[in-house]
Amino acid sequence: MSAPSSLASPLRIRKYVLFATGVVVLLPFMFPFLWMLMGSFKEEVDFLAYPPVWIFAPTLENYRNIFVEQDFFQYGVNSTIVALLVTLISLFLGIPGAYAVARYRRTGFALIVLTARMAPGIAFLIPWFVLFVQLKLTNTYFALVTTHLIQTLPIVLWMMIGFIEAIPREIEQAAMVDGCTVWGSLFRVIIPLTLPGIAASGILSFIFSWNNFLFSVVLAGEKTKTLPVAVFNFLGYQAVSWGPLCAASSIITLPVIILALVVQRYIVQGLAAGGVTG
Amino acid sequence: MEKENLTNPDPTPSISLWNRFLQFSDRNASLIMPMPAMVVTALLMVFPVFYLLYMSLNDWLLISGKPPQFISFQNYAALFQDERFVAALKRTGIFIVMGLAIQIPVGLAIAVLFNEHFPARGLMRTLLLLPMVATPVAMALVWVIILDPGSGVLNYFLSWLGIPSIAWLSDIDVVIPALVMVDTWQWTPMVALICLAGLSALPAEPFEAAMIDGATAWQRFWKLTLPMVWPTLLVAILFRFIDLLKVIEHIYVMTRGGPGFASETINVYNFLMGLFYYRVGYGSAISVVIFALVLGASLMLIRARRAAA
Repeated sequence: MSAPSSLASPLRIRKYVLFATGVVVLLPFMFPFLWMLMGSFKEEVDFLAYPPVWIFAPTLENYRNIFVEQDFFQYGVNSTIVALLVTLISLFLGIPGAYAVARYRRTGFALIVLTARMAPGIAFLIPWFVLFVQLKLTNTYFALVTTHLIQTLPIVLWMMIGFIEAIPREIEQAAMVDGCTVWGSLFRVIIPLTLPGIAASGILSFIFSWNNFLFSVVLAGEKTKTLPVAVFNFLGYQAVSWGPLCAASSIITLPVIILALVVQRYIVQGLAAGGVTG
Repeated sequence: MEKENLTNPDPTPSISLWNRFLQFSDRNASLIMPMPAMVVTALLMVFPVFYLLYMSLNDWLLISGKPPQFISFQNYAALFQDERFVAALKRTGIFIVMGLAIQIPVGLAIAVLFNEHFPARGLMRTLLLLPMVATPVAMALVWVIILDPGSGVLNYFLSWLGIPSIAWLSDIDVVIPALVMVDTWQWTPMVALICLAGLSALPAEPFEAAMIDGATAWQRFWKLTLPMVWPTLLVAILFRFIDLLKVIEHIYVMTRGGPGFASETINVYNFLMGLFYYRVGYGSAISVVIFALVLGASLMLIRARRAAA
């Protein structure tokens, strides 16, 4: 199938031009990641240098600083506990809910949840904040998990509706003819067949909870501080130390990026369903 | 039941309580299955909205220790006299217009590019996801470093073009464009990937026919691609519009609405009022107004999409 070289070379040039354009387009989107990673290995003096330094003696001091002098390990544990709880509860509630919407047309319910995607997060945050203050529940995992669910439950619900609707009804009907109950069909047919979807929506829930800042900064205290709140506190009233900030940012972002690569096919869908806090 | 069993010697298996429960839950599965999610949704999302509406009719400073005082619609009346709110509303409008004007064309252009075949295209598409999934607070802080007027790397790049140093986040005339730039960095990939999904679903025949008829790439884009991808583009516009209307996170992190109030959008103002100054009554009223704006905008755009599809 080799084309005559007179034809192939303009096509090949076109490919390389497109490739080069792609690289140029991508550069500004990738640059902040590069700068963050480089910054995490820089010494404080390198940040003050102008013009900015590109080649420097790397140091691990910044990472030592955030884990030894500050309690980033504890904040990481907090973030992980909250995100895992949020993910599990979202799946536990969302999967049967999505099944009911997909199979029994509970669309009114689905629409209410969709409104939550559209609504400003603060509209939910103010009432919950007032309640948690009065119940003395601020600075608890409970407050964080509850409010993060506002964001993640819609993700699981809307993504799972799509995955469940893609399973042909005939498979379930066959199972029911063989004596399977509705619940049996959910657990033995639907859940096994939608495992990739469950993993995707679960991972997206985890990412959203992990990244959540606005709800956490209001409701978390010293004991329950999550990573985004901890890194935000770098911008305190004292002089900002850029090196540890870059190290902390790199540490926070890394797990999310790895998880995002696993579920890359579903990210746009998940962002559309769960959206942005705000 | 028990009597019947006693008088009936026939050993038909009496249905155990557990089995009866199973039967009941199976017959009513359509109600029981969504019930936990519905109850939690009602608690988490429906109840707060009503509570918010109620609070918005009260004067209530949370830390004062005094109970809320009912003042009917005075909060709303005050809102439109509030210069800071009106200014924030205008600023949000500018933010939306600037954001859409950059992100939609750039996103579409990136989608058109990545719809072509070339080496490493798949990897590049994957990398394009990173700005929107990376923890926003962390990235916003990295942007603070990049935008630093003294030693920031962006000013250094611009100095190559002979552009003098810009105080991105402390100059009241530049802070909004600077924040739009960060928003554009984060969310243009979303527009691009939505458009890409739309583009890759387009049929090939019209394009082949146009090529045979000698249409230029430019003509093919305006006469074929754009009209055919328009419904998808409207979806991207819908999402960006709603999220720009609610924009807050990186603004709060990078400038807290400053310098002065120069970058304070309605949502930032809402956040500060309700959760920073604890004026929950007034803050609730602002929330209700933003909620109404978002719903109104969504309905309009959804209708536009129906008309286009």
